[in-house]
Amino acid sequence: MKLMHTKLPEFLKKMKVAATESSCPKEITIRGLENLTSAKMQSLRTGRIEHAVGEMTHKEGVEKIDLVVIPRVPETMHTVIIKGMDKDGNVKNAILELVNILHPTEEAELMGCKDVDDRRPGIGRH
Amino acid sequence: MAKLTYKMIPEGMLKGKYIPLNIAFINLNDVKACGITPKEAFEAVAKTVEGPVGMNIFDPDCVTTTSDGVMVDGTTVFMAAADRGIINKDFGYLEMIEMPYSEKLIEEEPHLLQWDANYKGKKLFRGPDPHTKLIPVHNVCISGRASNNNSATEMMNIITMEEILLPILGQQQIIENGEVVLGLTGGVISVGIGMIMPEMYGRVFPTRQFPAGETAHGSGIYAQTLKAHIPCIVADKSILAKYIIRALQAGCIPGRTVGASPAVLAVAKHMGIAPDYDNITEKAYEELASIGCTKEWMQEKVEILTPEEIMLKADEIIPGIEDASKFKAEELVQVVTVEV
Repeated sequence: MKLMHTKLPEFLKKMKVAATESSCPKEITIRGLENLTSAKMQSLRTGRIEHAVGEMTHKEGVEKIDLVVIPRVPETMHTVIIKGMDKDGNVKNAILELVNILHPTEEAELMGCKDVDDRRPGIGRH
Repeated sequence: MAKLTYKMIPEGMLKGKYIPLNIAFINLNDVKACGITPKEAFEAVAKTVEGPVGMNIFDPDCVTTTSDGVMVDGTTVFMAAADRGIINKDFGYLEMIEMPYSEKLIEEEPHLLQWDANYKGKKLFRGPDPHTKLIPVHNVCISGRASNNNSATEMMNIITMEEILLPILGQQQIIENGEVVLGLTGGVISVGIGMIMPEMYGRVFPTRQFPAGETAHGSGIYAQTLKAHIPCIVADKSILAKYIIRALQAGCIPGRTVGASPAVLAVAKHMGIAPDYDNITEKAYEELASIGCTKEWMQEKVEILTPEEIMLKADEIIPGIEDASKFKAEELVQVVTVEV
């Protein structure tokens, strides 16, 4: 079971290694996960993404890689925790609220690129 | 090849207001005349636009309700968003669902007494079927930067985060080459759009989440700020007054069987119709009071006017919209033709 999900720092490292230690090494930037400090990444997809990064390093004309993580469904629902802290740093009171966030879809990142290999399963599938 | 003609407001400055994305208004009758599907019409229009675009197909022959429950002629029945000519295959397109007429529906949503009184036989559309759309909460289409939200009444560029409100009567006037007002939404409309009626498959909410007399905002004094700085294109206030008068003449009571929005309350006051004071919640009173619609304002004695007089004086009677200018709709739109 330990392979089912990958630690976030490990995920980031794997992508960097896949790009920079490829037989055709490339620089890589990773965006979209900056706000996460503690997260487990789906392992099956981690391997596929690693593989895709390696593949991209070999593409003709590719100078560097920009890996961006955006929500698959462009509306995400979040709990907002409004915490009142006491002088010792303990949570004294809290209000839970909710906010839905709308995000741009992938077209905003693709900038009109025509050579797109969409390997994502349909919505609701892994 | 047929030719589809539609109306377009390009992204950029429009008479001093910033339009955050391209906006296309298409008449359903023109789509039908071309013998194409609504989706094909959107695809054809999208291909003509370089940047982000929100697209609405408006059916002038059906009816809908405004956020405060006033029934009006025509509504957007298909909506889409595209960026660089692409409509996102999962999230870029939505269809509104017809609400079939039934006595049970009118019993459950008493503001629809207007349907019997004023619009018998017309088809009613509001929001999409929540069971068929892939996006979880909002009735929104998104493709790249373009977002077309709240069943086609609010559009945004999600990258610049700029937005525009397109209430349904403004769209009706654009389609009909009528009279519109371009301005900033301001505090009064910000509060007013929270005074909703409970509706199944509504334009904003899929269920009857908030009872009549309640505010959907629940934001107290902050409600007036929620949309205040956002540009909007609305119908001339005389047109809004006409539809509110029809609703009130049909027997709707503000705060009970039609929303207690400032516009409805103001017109009702000049018709001598009192709101259901007991049914309006304290939260709603607080939001209304924050923009001057206090209980005292609701109860003050004003001249009772005829419907014609109210329509003539609508600019004085109905509060709301700031930094506004009146236009003929054709002054704001470009007429575009595309081969389909």
